[in-house]
Amino acid sequence: MFNFLINPNQFNKFVDIIFKPLVIIALITLSAGLMLVYLSPLDYQQGLTVKIMYIHVPSAWLALITYAIMTIYSIVGLAFKISFSFIINKAIAPIGAVFTILCLLSGSMWGKPMWGTWWVWDARLTSVAILLIIYLLIIFLNQTFENREVREKTIAIFILIGSVNLPIIKFSVDWWNTLHQPASVSKLSSPSIDISMLQPLLTMTLAFSMIGLIIAILRIKAEILLRKKYL
Amino acid sequence: MLLINNLSFSRNDNIIFQNLNLSLSDRSITQIRGKNGSGKTTLLQVILNFLECKTGEIFWEGKNIKKNIFSFYNQTTFIMDHNTCTRKMTILDNINFWSGLSSSKLTKNEILLLLETFNIQKYQNTKTMYLSAGEIKKLELLRLVLEQKKLWILDEPYNHLDDLSIQILNQTFIDHINKDGIVLFTSHLNPSISNLEVVEL
Amino acid sequence: MFLIKKIFLFFKRELNLFYNNIADLFSNILFFFLSIFIFVFALGAEEQLLRSIGLGIIWSLLLLSSTLSLRKFYEDDFNNGVIKIIHMSGISYELFVFLKILSHFFFVQIPFLISIPIACIFFNLPINEVYNLMITFIIGSLILSCLGSISASMNLLNKTNFSIGSIIVLLFSIPVIIFSVGINNSEDSFRSLINLLIGITLIFLGVSPWSSAAFIKLALRNK
Repeated sequence: MFNFLINPNQFNKFVDIIFKPLVIIALITLSAGLMLVYLSPLDYQQGLTVKIMYIHVPSAWLALITYAIMTIYSIVGLAFKISFSFIINKAIAPIGAVFTILCLLSGSMWGKPMWGTWWVWDARLTSVAILLIIYLLIIFLNQTFENREVREKTIAIFILIGSVNLPIIKFSVDWWNTLHQPASVSKLSSPSIDISMLQPLLTMTLAFSMIGLIIAILRIKAEILLRKKYL
Repeated sequence: MLLINNLSFSRNDNIIFQNLNLSLSDRSITQIRGKNGSGKTTLLQVILNFLECKTGEIFWEGKNIKKNIFSFYNQTTFIMDHNTCTRKMTILDNINFWSGLSSSKLTKNEILLLLETFNIQKYQNTKTMYLSAGEIKKLELLRLVLEQKKLWILDEPYNHLDDLSIQILNQTFIDHINKDGIVLFTSHLNPSISNLEVVEL
Repeated sequence: MFLIKKIFLFFKRELNLFYNNIADLFSNILFFFLSIFIFVFALGAEEQLLRSIGLGIIWSLLLLSSTLSLRKFYEDDFNNGVIKIIHMSGISYELFVFLKILSHFFFVQIPFLISIPIACIFFNLPINEVYNLMITFIIGSLILSCLGSISASMNLLNKTNFSIGSIIVLLFSIPVIIFSVGINNSEDSFRSLINLLIGITLIFLGVSPWSSAAFIKLALRNK
């Protein structure tokens, strides 16, 4: 059933079915999300700048999720020798990098009026910056080695080593005393964010992930076409 | 004896050689002849297990070399087509390093005698970076006598050598064969050795 | 028995090469001191400022100058085929890498120790910080040797002239820097931080021979 996740032919077939609905859903969620963001209430302290959150938070989540997907695919690819996972690693690394850049840029734009500075050497910010460096290194590593198999295995091992950074990013706000505020949505029992702000946030997250998925599908299909000889 | 069975190798989906069969019995000398780029060096690298062959097996004394690689290496001397000596060390230091690695039993006087036959004795304390290409090649070929192994594998041994040295080298080959040895070398020349078996690639 | 003799021989050869390449070491040390001078010129010679940031500067410059010599780690032995001869004499690639790491540690990193007290004089560091710096440098430089081995063996495969190896060394040395500079900030956690550093060293000593040997094998196959 989930064969399309590891088999390029099945993936192509599956994607051909869902691609058009996916685009429509993405358009609908994006416009609905933007609408909800427009209608959402202002923060009593932060005023209009709180609306940066609706870009900042989804892109941060998606940067982490992209890396987590890459980690899972690296394990699968190294353990079961599935070459499709290396295609995915190559295809989605730039998407993760773009989300990380988006997160850092919107964060510093939010930080300037709120904290009075573009950048602080805070644990959360630094670890996200390291995540960006890791993403860029993965993209560069894709262009270094001539031998394809060596390159893929090296990148997979590098991704696995770099995944140490993920829990550091997630828990940095809890472990260290930081300027960045602690997690407010993912608290399991009761999220400390108001429902009127949670709705647009989740819709925007859905829209962002749909857009990311569409770009990822296009890139993976292009990569499969490039490697048709080996597969 | 060395037995090569149905060997084939391909690099980047180009087939270099295919279904190669070769058997080197004791007291035999074999030349692999071919044009430039016909895969002579590649064949030697495959035989020595530095490159992974696509299909086929190689047997040394009846054992598959992949499973007994160090016992195969223990009886093999490999002379590469480029210089293995460390450029910043003197000739004697290089020779001491090689003889220690192969735990050779030659005494110092014998080594000096060997240097004298190749006419490089006067440079024994100079760094190898100051030697000419032919002298370095001679130094490289000293490893054959130094290591005292049964199977000699040489890649282009005649490069850079003058006529006298080529004669000495051929004589060394013949002496080695008479002592139950095996010689396998690649060259595009036609050396004048009796009983030479030639494999065209 | 033969193996011990061969290992002894290997170190003898490394020592010989070290004598012949001693100019490299001195130029590295010169680079280190010159970059310290440049830092001081750029920041101004204010004593209090220099004392507070001296340790971090010394550590990061040590890191940068030790990445200078990484290019030669395997390249010479690989290009002239000494790796093949050593392997054919019965030493596996993993053991070769391990010996090479040790020799890099002894012949490149340890001689750097003489430059540390002099550098500390320039920054007027208190004596206990100098002791801590020496201890952490001895442990941390072993980690740097392991990382350098991995990056140098990666560079053997890398045909485009791209300094990705050095970038990876810098990336993975971030925890080393954090822990070794952190020793001076809080006296009571000295033991625990030293233990952490030793733990990281042991991990890298285990991982790097395996991964470097894999890279060397692939590089030989690709040549």
